[in-house]
Formats: sequence, C-alpha cells, structure tokens
Amino acid sequence: MDERSYILANLHLRAVLPRLQELVKLDDEARSIARETKLSVRFKVRKGPSEVVEISDGEVRTSSDPKGKADLGLFFASCEQLNNLFMDKRAIPVPYKGLTRLPQMKRFSRLTEIMTRYLRPTEVDLTDPAFKRKHVEMALMAGLAGAAQIAKYDSKVEHAMELLPHGTIQFSVLPDGPYAFVSVDEDKTIFAGNGTVAEPTANLDINGVDVAADLLADRLDQFAALGSGDLRASGLLPLIDEFNALLDRVGKFLA
Amino acid sequence: MSLYSFDKSKEMFLRATRVIPTGISGNKNPAFAIPGAFPYFAERGEGCRYWDVDDNQYIDFLCGFGPVVLGFGYQKVDDAYDAQRRLGSAFNHPTPRTVELAEKLVGLIPCADWAAFGRNGSDVTTYAIQAAREKTQRRKIIVVRGAYHGSHAWCTPGHGGLIEEDKRQILTFSWNDATELEGLVKKHPGDVAAVMLTPHHHPAFGEQVLPAPGFWSDVRRICDEHGVVLICDDIRDGFRLHMKGSGEYFDFVPDMMCFCKAIANGYSVSAIVGVEDLKSAASKVFFTGTYYTAAADLAAAIATLDELIEVDAIDHMMKMGRMLCEGLVKRGEAHGLQVKVTGPPTIPFLSFANERDFRRSQRWSAECARRGVLFHPHHNWFLMYAHKEADIQESLDVADEAFGLVKKEFGS
Repeated sequence: MDERSYILANLHLRAVLPRLQELVKLDDEARSIARETKLSVRFKVRKGPSEVVEISDGEVRTSSDPKGKADLGLFFASCEQLNNLFMDKRAIPVPYKGLTRLPQMKRFSRLTEIMTRYLRPTEVDLTDPAFKRKHVEMALMAGLAGAAQIAKYDSKVEHAMELLPHGTIQFSVLPDGPYAFVSVDEDKTIFAGNGTVAEPTANLDINGVDVAADLLADRLDQFAALGSGDLRASGLLPLIDEFNALLDRVGKFLA
Repeated sequence: MSLYSFDKSKEMFLRATRVIPTGISGNKNPAFAIPGAFPYFAERGEGCRYWDVDDNQYIDFLCGFGPVVLGFGYQKVDDAYDAQRRLGSAFNHPTPRTVELAEKLVGLIPCADWAAFGRNGSDVTTYAIQAAREKTQRRKIIVVRGAYHGSHAWCTPGHGGLIEEDKRQILTFSWNDATELEGLVKKHPGDVAAVMLTPHHHPAFGEQVLPAPGFWSDVRRICDEHGVVLICDDIRDGFRLHMKGSGEYFDFVPDMMCFCKAIANGYSVSAIVGVEDLKSAASKVFFTGTYYTAAADLAAAIATLDELIEVDAIDHMMKMGRMLCEGLVKRGEAHGLQVKVTGPPTIPFLSFANERDFRRSQRWSAECARRGVLFHPHHNWFLMYAHKEADIQESLDVADEAFGLVKKEFGS
C-alpha cells in the first residue's frame, strides 16, 4: 500500500469525518437530522484505519478505539476505496454488520453532503459571511486534526517533527472567533480541540474570517500577513512555524 | 521621551508585499522579530547606530545579523572599497585582491593552507561539505540539532520547496553530547563524510551554550579515529572571538573553517579555508558564482581584517560586551526579574530563566526598540567596535526602563 493513500485515509476518517461534530452545531438542517438519528457506524479499512462515528441526542462523537461498538459496520477493501468515497468517486463499501440499519445511512449521507459543502465551498457560498464563518470553523478544525495525522504518518515532515517543540497553540479568529487549539505533547502526540485554552505557549491571531479563509485555502502569503498584522504570532514561535509545516501538508493532501 | 512609531516601515512593507514574496524574505522578515514593534526597513547607519525609514535612531546590537563588526560607515573600509570600485570590481578575471585576501587568511588561521571566496555563508558551507564528500567519497554529514548553517536545501530551517532527498544524508545530534556523536558515526561506518559544527551553540529561539570542557577535543578525536572531516562553521563567531578564528578561542583545530559576516564589515564576502590534505578535493568541486571575485568587496575584507588587528577590536568588543551583559543582569535582577545572558560577551543573548515561550523577551525587546535600542528577542546579538562605553550605558538605561514594564506586566 502506498503511503499517500494511507495518510489520506487517515485524514478522511480522523480529520474530515469528525467535522460532523461541529456541523450538527452550526447547521440547522444537520442539527435537525442529528436529533432524529441514533446510529453508530464503523468505517473499517483493510490494512488501514478504523473509526466509529456515533450520532445520538443531536450530537456526533467519533472514536478511534478499535474495541468501540457500532450498530453498522462498513468495510473498505483498501485505503483507495475509502478515499474514493470521500472524493465523490464511485465507491461502495461492504456492510459487514447491522444490515437492518442500512436505511439510516441515507440520513448519514445527507449529513456528509452538507459537511462537504462547508469544507469545499464554492465561491458563491463564500459570499455569505455567516456561511464563511462556519466554513472557517470546520476547515480550521479539519486542518488542525489533520496535522495530528500528518505528524504520525507522513515521512515528509520528519524534519519538522524533529524540531517541533511541545506546547499549546491558540488559534483565534478575531474579533470573536472561531477559536481552536492544538497541544503538542513531549512525545509529539498532537491533539486538536475547539475553543480556547488558559495559558497557550504560542498564539496565532487571525485578523478576521476573510483572512482565515484565505489562510485555510492556501491563498495567503503568510509572512506578508505577519508583517502587515493580518496574522499575529506571539510566544514560542518555532511551535507555530514547525506546526505550520504539518498544516501545509494537510492542505496538499486534501486540496 | 516619545516612543517610536513605524508607519513608513509598514507602508514600505505593504509596497514590498505586492511585488516580493513574503515582502521581506528570510530572517529579516518582521515575523522573525516582533511585527509592528520593530523597524522593517533601514535607511542609513553611522558608527553603532542606524536610522530606519521613519527616521528612528537605534543603537544596534544586531549589527545587520553580524556583518557590521567595526561600525557603519567605517572610513578605512569604505575607502578601500571605493578605491577598488573606481578601478573596477567585476572583471572577466579575478584581481590581485583575491590572492591577497587568500594569503592573509592563510597567514592568519592555523588550519588554513588554502582559501576560497563566495558571497554568502551558504556558499561556503555547501562548498565545505562537497569538498569533504569528495575527499572521503562518503555521503553523510553530521550537524547539531537546531544549528544553522545556511539557506541551501541541505541545511535550510525552512520547509518549502524541499524534497525528502535534500536532507536524507544529514544526521543530527545534541550539542555537547560527544557520546551521541560517536554513536552516530559508528552507526554509519564508512559513510560519514563530515561533522560541521559552530564553535559554540547559538540556535535561534534558544539560549546559547558554550562548548563543555573536553567536547571539542572529543569531537576532534572521533573525527580522526573515523576518517571524518571536521568543519567549523565560524560564520557568526569568526573575528569576534579571536582573529585566528574561533578554534583558537575554544582550543581546537578543524580541517576546514567557514567565514562570512564580520570578515568585510558589511560588504559581501564569505570565505572558506582548509588544511593541505583537503586542497586537492576542494579543487575538484566546481565552485563559482558571478560575484565570487568581486574585487571591491574583497578589498573591503582585506581592510576590515587589517583594521580589526590594528585597533585590537576584539579586546574592545569583549570589554563592551562584558559591560553590557553584566549591566543587563544587574538591572534585571534589581527589578526582581530572572534575566539570563548566555554566549560569549561579543555575541550575547538575553532570555528570562522562568519562561520558555519568549513572551517577556518579546515585550522587553519591543519596549527597547520603541526607545531606540535594538536587541533581538529570538536571535543572538553582536557587538561591534563602534560600541563605546556611553552607548552601553545609554542602552542599559533603556533596558532598565523596559525591564520595569516587563515586571509590571508579568510580575516576575
């Protein structure tokens, strides 16, 4: 199996799919679907990652625990097959458990359709400031969570990983969010979360949703933005710099 | 006093971003210092001071990131440059200045049996590893984790534009850990071409660390035992610790040494010197660049080295550096701050012992810059010959005021 497909499969399952968590809080239709749905689905990839998505009580939770239970199991013969599913190409997994729950997958599919719109917006979508803010919140989290997967599996970031210090980076889209953070443990394990932390080791303040959207779409000259004040970095800058190398790789995979 | 503003710097930066990727590339980009609280563009310099495009005046402790060793507008050096410039600088051939500077370095540096010249530090560090690979017919290069040896693909701290192969043959170990170094060399028997080290460890975003007793002699022994070429990257330290190169200061003799920065007081020259045994290998590497023989810059280098010796500039810089370092610690402690100054007196760096995120350093440096003294928060500083006692005292007074603001914001 090639490294690229394996990494992409991990990104899809552990950075993209978990964005359903934010989606059901941000989007009315998604929220409504989630309230009416009680379902857990395991995505299992041969020689690849496995992840459970659980929808209940209007919320979505994801888990990488291999022993986690699921109502429905979907088996993918390869990472490529899973990746095709996420890239709108024809890919039909084999249900291996909970066949009676299959009809509920329609609702699940609708949720992923809505999510895709936020993660891959059209130019028209982005003219709506409210939509753009939601896009930024979800894309930012996808990037940060994706960086954790890149750190684990991408041999091309070996150099950045060697230099990546431990600590927490607070990402703040000013003036009023969204906010997200990543923590890098001493063993280089990375965790991404929504919201703010009390005493971050480094801060990256982003001057507005428009700048954030450009940053996430790789349309921003970041060093120019740092000089102009559109981005403001403070604290342990190497933490931001090296982490940025991971984020950059996420973009290369998911673009 | 009224605090500085940087409006014209910011305007110029916006112009720059329209036509130059990043606006200002590399370590001079505002992101490396404190955007909005540091000048972005310089206008002129004189002695140990320079003025930015907003006409703010600074006592400079960064010295152009090292090259300004005598002072801005140093007459004897500028005269030498101008004299050669009038004669011509870029010819079809080198001028006698190339030979004269090579002879000067060979006479000055203990390990120098030959010399060659480039324009920037990366030119000669890359040349050095090529020569070592040619000599040994081996692939791997060992450097210290976090050390900086230039911006070429094999050593850049950046990430963009690289492929995995660029750094595949570069191995790293921790500064002062000769055991780790020996382990690396043994792990790759017959495959390590060179060890490249700076005389002391001066990472960006970190305290400086002097060589531990016995470290350099261990490194020399390991290289000798395994047929590995020992390269000293003396680009930052060179001619600020000892006129014979920093090996004399720390008591070691490498096989090749790389110089740049202080060698020409701001003109564009880098140099590599090496032992006789490496001359043939060095000759087999195609080493050239359009301006490698630019005579005016080489004339400036000759004048700079002569003047550094003539006025015993290092001794003066050491005295001024000690005065600065001791004064900073004393003033910081008086405010109840845990100020720590690391590195040699001519290449110092200030940090706060009770933080690792540089927030106090960033605030302190920003406040100093707003008051006319430029101390970098993330990169080691440099002394120059033009720093006199009055400049140090003035700088300490500004530092003191800034310490007070740090104390007020952070408490300790």
